[in-house]
Amino acid sequence: MTDRPTLTATGLVRRYGRDAGVHGVDLTLVPGQVTALLGPSGSGKSTLLRLIAGLEAPDAGEIRLGETVLSRPGQAVAPEHRGIGLMFQEHALFPHKTVLGNVTFGLNHLPRVEARERALDLLRSLRLEDRAKAWPSTLSGGEQQRVALARALAREPAVLLMDEPFSGLDASLRAEVRDALTPALRAAGAAVLIVTHDAEDALAMADHLILLDHGEVLQSGTPEACYLRPVSLAAARMLGPVEALPGHADGDAVETPLGRFPRPDGEATGWQLLVRPGDVRLADQGVAATVVARRFAGSGTSVTVETSDPNPYRLTLAHTGPVPAIGQPVFLALEAGHAVIVAI
Amino acid sequence: MGLGAALVAILPLIGVVATALGDGQADIALSDLTRYALTSVALSAQVAVLTAVLGVTAAWLVVGHDFPGRRWLSWALALPLAAPAFALAYGYADLFDAAGDLRIWMRGTLGVDMPFEMRSLGGAGLILSLAFYPYVYLAMRAALLNQSSQAIEAARMLGASPTRAFFQVALPMARPALAAGVALAVMETLADYGAVQFLGVQTLTTGVVRAWFVFGSIASAAQIALPLLAFAAVLMWIERMGRSGADHDGGRGRWRPLILQPLPPVKAALATGFCLMLVGLGLVLPLGWMAHTMIDITPEWPRLIAAARHSVGLAIMAALVTVALAALLALGSARHPLAARIASLGYATPGAVMAIGLLIPAAVLWRLVPGSVGGFGLGIALLIYAYAARLMAAAFEPIEAGLTRVTPSVVQASRMLGRSETDTAWAVQLPLARGALFTAALVVFVDVMKELPATLMLRPFNVDTLAVMADNYARDERLANAGWPTLLLVLLALPAVLWLTRKISASRPGEP
Repeated sequence: MTDRPTLTATGLVRRYGRDAGVHGVDLTLVPGQVTALLGPSGSGKSTLLRLIAGLEAPDAGEIRLGETVLSRPGQAVAPEHRGIGLMFQEHALFPHKTVLGNVTFGLNHLPRVEARERALDLLRSLRLEDRAKAWPSTLSGGEQQRVALARALAREPAVLLMDEPFSGLDASLRAEVRDALTPALRAAGAAVLIVTHDAEDALAMADHLILLDHGEVLQSGTPEACYLRPVSLAAARMLGPVEALPGHADGDAVETPLGRFPRPDGEATGWQLLVRPGDVRLADQGVAATVVARRFAGSGTSVTVETSDPNPYRLTLAHTGPVPAIGQPVFLALEAGHAVIVAI
Repeated sequence: MGLGAALVAILPLIGVVATALGDGQADIALSDLTRYALTSVALSAQVAVLTAVLGVTAAWLVVGHDFPGRRWLSWALALPLAAPAFALAYGYADLFDAAGDLRIWMRGTLGVDMPFEMRSLGGAGLILSLAFYPYVYLAMRAALLNQSSQAIEAARMLGASPTRAFFQVALPMARPALAAGVALAVMETLADYGAVQFLGVQTLTTGVVRAWFVFGSIASAAQIALPLLAFAAVLMWIERMGRSGADHDGGRGRWRPLILQPLPPVKAALATGFCLMLVGLGLVLPLGWMAHTMIDITPEWPRLIAAARHSVGLAIMAALVTVALAALLALGSARHPLAARIASLGYATPGAVMAIGLLIPAAVLWRLVPGSVGGFGLGIALLIYAYAARLMAAAFEPIEAGLTRVTPSVVQASRMLGRSETDTAWAVQLPLARGALFTAALVVFVDVMKELPATLMLRPFNVDTLAVMADNYARDERLANAGWPTLLLVLLALPAVLWLTRKISASRPGEP
């Protein structure tokens, strides 16, 4: 694979109405790496993608591909000249062209035979060679998905953007398609940006994760880092259920219902302990609590307990093994190293 | 009941076919018939090509680009629908008359003359295209707006320039709408009588009218009408195909408006200029010229006022009757899907053919009910019948769209609360669709105001409408006099057309 340029965006701003849009986002897309942009609907993630694609223009900030400026206010490279591929949420296959016609659409700079060969190669690698002559409307959702990917990859884009690539697929198909696409994406060597609202997709596919809300980056890093060391309650909530227990500073430590933990650097009006369902277990000793509810969840049981503090707190934990009865006193222990203290 | 309404539309057509194939004394030479038919085909082909180019260009400019005046031009481009084609023909024929001031000036000052005459096949093609391009424009505008912007954006992301994206993606995806729009323009071309008659172009429709007026032969007229009916059926079929193909083109997925392409100043000026030119040539120039020439003439006020009253009265009556029938058809369309299909054939049928179909029963009835009073009422009834049969499909469409927005569960709720089917229609469905009923009534009103051949053939003695009055003057080459009824007609139709086009241009996919 030839050396491909890195895409960098700095200080991107795009304003709509009152608070929709993007407000000062920096990001870097590295060749060969999959970056996932995770955020709820209305967080500005689609806007960010459209800014990078050149379908919209930023109000401030700059987008570069290598040394080339793609966008800055008053200056823009047209979408067709950016060398960026985009897979649309609903695939946007051309209904009046066959699968092959769709894939060769972007290859009209090549001789016809060569374009056809490359398209067929790609279709073969995505196990679609027998559908080359089919019309898009006759394809299943998963097939349309792969055609859209082949179409976008055919031009060997430096950057591939994917807008909610799995949103149209039902849950059972989703993981299968996702796992089938990932090797093809890595083989393409492009810098890939996946926009999604699904934490599972983001965690499963990304080398690098960006959490976006209200048009601002909450956190970015590897999926593990973002999951295990969230910088705020909002960032932690994006990646899965989490509960916050209040803490108060006491010298170099923070006192919480589940014990004392070292106080992070920096000033804050208050602190809280973030606990995911798997972080706390029932133990022989530790913090005293009472079981108040339990809910069978297949592989385990979700148990809600209430601490016996003067100020009782409830939290829910994932439990395997014998299920305690409601009202039964238990002890809680935090898994070593799972204590996350964040500023309020 | 719905089936009955459809029968109203189809009966005159059956009459035409029966008469043409019957053993009446028809003496139409095959060579004449062929000549008429070839002229009609040639004229239709010209109009098809020219309306397609003009309508598609205008729609693509307005939907996809930003230029000064875009917003108001997007509805103003439909305004030529307010003027009947014969109004344009009068205006242009007079403006470019070989003995007119303009041509004299051109020959004297520029030393050149117009390369062609308006009173020719080519001139008629040009004039009818300027009159009918809004059909293509409106159909294409709706189709392009309905296309999710995703397809065009996808093309751009795949390296296509905006031009390539249009020709390879947007236009092919809108092909069904283009076919439907062109089919409508050609239907109107085949149906036109006033303009082609005045310009001296002999089409099948002028042939039908001539056969009746000059030779007094219903059988001959019916024989000339037969190929017209065949053309109409083919066009209707094309239009239907276009409509049914439109569904899959919208694409699923969220609809997002096309992002307007900003145009550099010169191109923006050209875009504005092109749209202004269309509105100018389709409405302002010919009518302005007529207004200019008629200003020196004092109209025959009593005749003019009487004609205006007849026009408006007939248009209102026709609107009420047609909307009632179309509503019946729409309410029953779930049970009789074929009925709507049958009724739509009436829309494609030229007014002259419809009139021929009604002349046969009329002749019988006139003999049964002699006397001027009975004859007058009968004549009016036949005329309303012809309008209703011809325009039922045009009224059906908005009404059906309005009724389908009333969800089945609302109707079922009414039935479960003890209301009968009729009660439910009155108390629930029709009130909810009242906007659509009003729209349908306006569509019929405008078309009846502009109608000429059927009115000419069926009207009771001495009942002139504005269109008939204009036609009478024009036949005598008193064009300045023809200006008064023509302009009055346009002014009376204009508010309705304005309301319709504003409504069309404000509507967005997924909204009423």
